[in-house]
Amino acid sequence: MSAVESATAIQRSQVDLLDFIDWSGVECLNQNSNHSIANALKQGYREDEGLNLESDADEQLLIYIPFTQVIKLHSIVIKGSEEEGPKTVKLFSNKEHMGFSNVNDFPSSDTAVLSPDNLKGKPTVLKYVKFQNVRSLTIFIEDNQSGSEITKVQKIALHGSTVETTDMKGLKKIEEH
Amino acid sequence: MVLEATMICIDNSERMRNGDYSPSRFQAQADAVNLICGAKTQSNPENTVGVLIMAGKGVRVLVTPTSDLGKLLACMHGLEIGGEMDLAAGIQVAQLALKHRQNKKQQQRIIVFAGSPIKPDKKSLEMIGRKLKKNSVALDIVNFGEDDEGKTEKLEALLAAVNNNDSSHIVHVPAGPNALSDVLISTPIFTGDGEGGSGFAAAAAAAAAGGVSGFEFGVDPNLDPELALALRVSMEEERARQEAAAKKAAEEASKQEKGGEQQSSSQDATMTEHASGATSEADNKRNDLSDDDNALLQQALAMSMDEPASSHDVQDTEMSDAAADDPELALALQLSVQDSAKDSSSQADVSKLLADQSFVSSILASLPGVDPNDPSVKEVLASMQSQSEVSSSNLVTQQKQDEDKAPNEEK
Repeated sequence: MSAVESATAIQRSQVDLLDFIDWSGVECLNQNSNHSIANALKQGYREDEGLNLESDADEQLLIYIPFTQVIKLHSIVIKGSEEEGPKTVKLFSNKEHMGFSNVNDFPSSDTAVLSPDNLKGKPTVLKYVKFQNVRSLTIFIEDNQSGSEITKVQKIALHGSTVETTDMKGLKKIEEH
Repeated sequence: MVLEATMICIDNSERMRNGDYSPSRFQAQADAVNLICGAKTQSNPENTVGVLIMAGKGVRVLVTPTSDLGKLLACMHGLEIGGEMDLAAGIQVAQLALKHRQNKKQQQRIIVFAGSPIKPDKKSLEMIGRKLKKNSVALDIVNFGEDDEGKTEKLEALLAAVNNNDSSHIVHVPAGPNALSDVLISTPIFTGDGEGGSGFAAAAAAAAAGGVSGFEFGVDPNLDPELALALRVSMEEERARQEAAAKKAAEEASKQEKGGEQQSSSQDATMTEHASGATSEADNKRNDLSDDDNALLQQALAMSMDEPASSHDVQDTEMSDAAADDPELALALQLSVQDSAKDSSSQADVSKLLADQSFVSSILASLPGVDPNDPSVKEVLASMQSQSEVSSSNLVTQQKQDEDKAPNEEK
């Protein structure tokens, strides 16, 4: 796991974007309701190996993640099992409300084919230039490693940095003295 | 109140001419569609509903999802019966129409009226169902007409493939005297996954059931809102007046009893007892007052006990009404609902009050049927007198002067 450590250590300026996810807008199509997207994204759940995101009717998954502010996406970590973990993952930035039917109509911002190393936790570095101004991210998991009916994802972590945007909640009234 | 976009798929094939559902299958279907449109648009004003036909010359969308009920009701006019139903194409077109809905936050739902035999086999139906589930589209199936060529099985298989957490339903409506719409009203298709049907559905159900409307006062608020409101207000006024009378009597009775209790127990205990006694321990009062001369007081207690629940809630409002009339009574009421935390201060107040014999006798005189010269009443007065010696004299005398003024002003 030292490779993982060093990989994450390299990008010291990159933070885990978990805090910037707008949870009210997170959607996942074709998920099994007992094994939902929260198991893969949320702090704590994603570390638990027993809790996975699972697909339902077939092996594809379409995950939509909006952010509370504009971010730059550097790399992504997807952990899963060796057979049922995802293989081809397409990422789309700033495309709202995609469905399975139109997901292949657009060229993806980046496509990653995950290796078993990646599934153990090695981050996949993305084309940084394509993800400079990301308000929402759509992750399309097209197939899994062994071609089974169900795709299981244990953890999805996004690493990147924020763009200078005003946090409206932090604005405070200036006290008059 | 789920935000939903619904597509209704109508079967207008030749088989709809059949009269096994009165007046004809097509008419029954049209009535059911109208009801569904109304229910959906009423349950949430942002809901949209669309209609398409599955037979005729081909699958055709009559109305794209809209929240305009007039448009939906009008589209059923002039519909022609003919052709054969194409279920697979109908569902696919419905799915497409939902995909292009304006408000992406709406949940997607398709309602299919399957009145003809189904051509596609089970496997292809299951595939269609899985595709719907993958795109999180819910499906409601209304199965009516003949059941041949395993129609019911196929539809059940379709439902099983689509169903996700019981969001999809199937209803089998056999031919018979019951209208199609009546049968549907009680199903989850109408009531929306057991949320408790919308007001529209409830009203429709009431109308369909016939007989007593079940509305308060037998007047439908929808039909005559002013009359219903006037009836309700007058009923509440009457109830409030009755409670005020009962409350007054209860207060007098509890104050009398309090004087007797303070002989033996400490003032702390009685204060809390009195506070709770006025509201919930009417039973104790009844036991204590066994004197014949206090029969009227018992009557008053019985009245207050008949409405114990309501009197608690109305107590606060009642106080303001009563207070206007009788300042002494107001003070007594105030004391009765004070917290036990305020015991110390109120204790002093109460002891002052009771120590003032003239004040007490004036209260007793105002009670109907109580003779101040009665021996039992005199006993109570004597006990209060002795209790006045216990409390500090300074406060007592000062308060006495104040209380003397009050009854005098009143008289």
